[in-house]
Amino acid sequence: MNRHELMAKGAAALRLRREDMRRRDLITKAASALGVRRDDLVRVVRVMIVTVVGVVGVAMIISVPGWGATHALLGIHKAPTAKASTVPLTVDQAKKILTRSLTAAYLGETKDGAASNTALRAAYTKQGLRGAGGRVKLASVQPAVATSPLEASQPKLLAVSRGFGYPRFIVAQTVAPDGGVPTLHLLTTPNAETPYRISMSVEMVPPATVEPFDRLSQGSSLVTNSAALAVAPAKLLSLYAAQMAFPAKAISQPPFAADSFSVQMREGAAGVAKAVASQATFTQVHKVVPDSLYAVRQASGDALVFGVIERTDLFTVKKDQNVNTAANKAFVLLTGKKVVARKASITTLEFVVFADPRSSGKATLVAAREQIVAGSGS
Amino acid sequence: MPASTRRALGAVVAALGIILVVVWAWIVVKLGPSGEASFSATSKSPGAMVIPSDVLNAVDVPVHVTATRRDGGPVRLTVAQSTDARAILGTSAVSTVSAVRYPAGTMDLRVSGAGALADITRTDVWRVALKEPGSAVMVVDQVRAPETVVVTSGDATALTDVTLTLSWAERAWFFEALAIATLGAVLAAFAMNDLWQGRVTTAHGDVVGADTSEVTA
Repeated sequence: MNRHELMAKGAAALRLRREDMRRRDLITKAASALGVRRDDLVRVVRVMIVTVVGVVGVAMIISVPGWGATHALLGIHKAPTAKASTVPLTVDQAKKILTRSLTAAYLGETKDGAASNTALRAAYTKQGLRGAGGRVKLASVQPAVATSPLEASQPKLLAVSRGFGYPRFIVAQTVAPDGGVPTLHLLTTPNAETPYRISMSVEMVPPATVEPFDRLSQGSSLVTNSAALAVAPAKLLSLYAAQMAFPAKAISQPPFAADSFSVQMREGAAGVAKAVASQATFTQVHKVVPDSLYAVRQASGDALVFGVIERTDLFTVKKDQNVNTAANKAFVLLTGKKVVARKASITTLEFVVFADPRSSGKATLVAAREQIVAGSGS
Repeated sequence: MPASTRRALGAVVAALGIILVVVWAWIVVKLGPSGEASFSATSKSPGAMVIPSDVLNAVDVPVHVTATRRDGGPVRLTVAQSTDARAILGTSAVSTVSAVRYPAGTMDLRVSGAGALADITRTDVWRVALKEPGSAVMVVDQVRAPETVVVTSGDATALTDVTLTLSWAERAWFFEALAIATLGAVLAAFAMNDLWQGRVTTAHGDVVGADTSEVTA
């Protein structure tokens, strides 16, 4: 069907003559019917068409989210993506968490019964909780400190995690109100659902100092590539644990400098062995607690390595001997036994913090603490 | 340029000018002198309401978040890094703001997940957390984007019938919209004036042509 046939059919359908269907005639007739000039009508119709098309176009543009000119006007743009170097905690958040945890820790160590347990569980986690539990349990038989470092009114925030991965950590330092050696605190969280809690609180070993970390606004990262350190943190701790064994084992070229804590441990073990020699044999085993290791990168490239070593003191009573343990008040408190005929063991946690240099040199002990946590005897 | 083309061009420009005036004058009125854009949505589905970073951090100015419970119960507003917020929300029932519509001032909600949200008060991921009876307001800046806002009841009960309002303001937007509307008015005025002048000239030409033909005759 060509154009002429189409117009003829259209005219027939509309009961008009073919000439009436011609555009020019239609416009002229419409203009005369409306009482306006033909050109004016054409102009008005054009304006109306442009207006309608424009309005429809604008309506479409402004009604589609994220696509419209109004969105551009309102500054709406694509949201930024997360950066791996972002610090998930603000300084204020970290300080609040620190204050909350130290307050709960202090309450846990000063309250009794269920209140103490609740507070301790709110403050500590894992080996930190074991250590605090042992300290509370043995408070009556262990030397008391004049003022607790947990009472410090102004804990010093040293480092917070960088990035969104887990576990995350906070490193802080407190000094008891009456002075004394500073205490390092490591708070950790394993996932988003779990709050930060104290993994360890360890007194510094004079005259050790802690090198600065990256700025709190930048955060600090956990060491994942230990190749850049003088000694791998895991190897450092395992060798340190091995060299404290009793009977003593020689470690050739230890990657750590000599320190007063390990000397004290070894001398203590030798003294105990000598004291019980007539009735029992004494051995001491040190093992690094799995998952207790945290190595935090410092601004200089060094790392501060936190770890927990579990020490087991094992007494094997000689035949036909009964050992009176009454003098060991901690053992009696933990086991309820004043006499042992076969075996006895005491479990102690050794919390240690090392400064691990970035390329060469020996790691140095920065902080250390021991805490008896369990005992058994038969 | 032929007269007919000029007239058509004038008509197009006039129409565009009028459209600019009408639309942007409306936006000027909507924004007000403070330049505030506001969006609301009401969730009837039980569960937390979530404003993801796609919406919360899609602007460079602070976003005011207001959550209001119809029953007057407690409302807890929290904001956290988006990755942490997603980990906390897990697969629990949530209504998520998926888009804002302007100038309609509405927000699209997408319902997803099932089951109650676990206790989210114990975690340390929330940068800001506040709880108010009936209605709570929070201002989220863009410094720590991308972040996600989570609205809950603050207790074990699931939220229902909560109206969430987002607003942000920038005075410059008001003046920008005003400038565009003014530009449209100027365009329309010039184009209509040109059309009017063309009409007068044509009418004058008609008259002159008539006189000439009479003389010729």
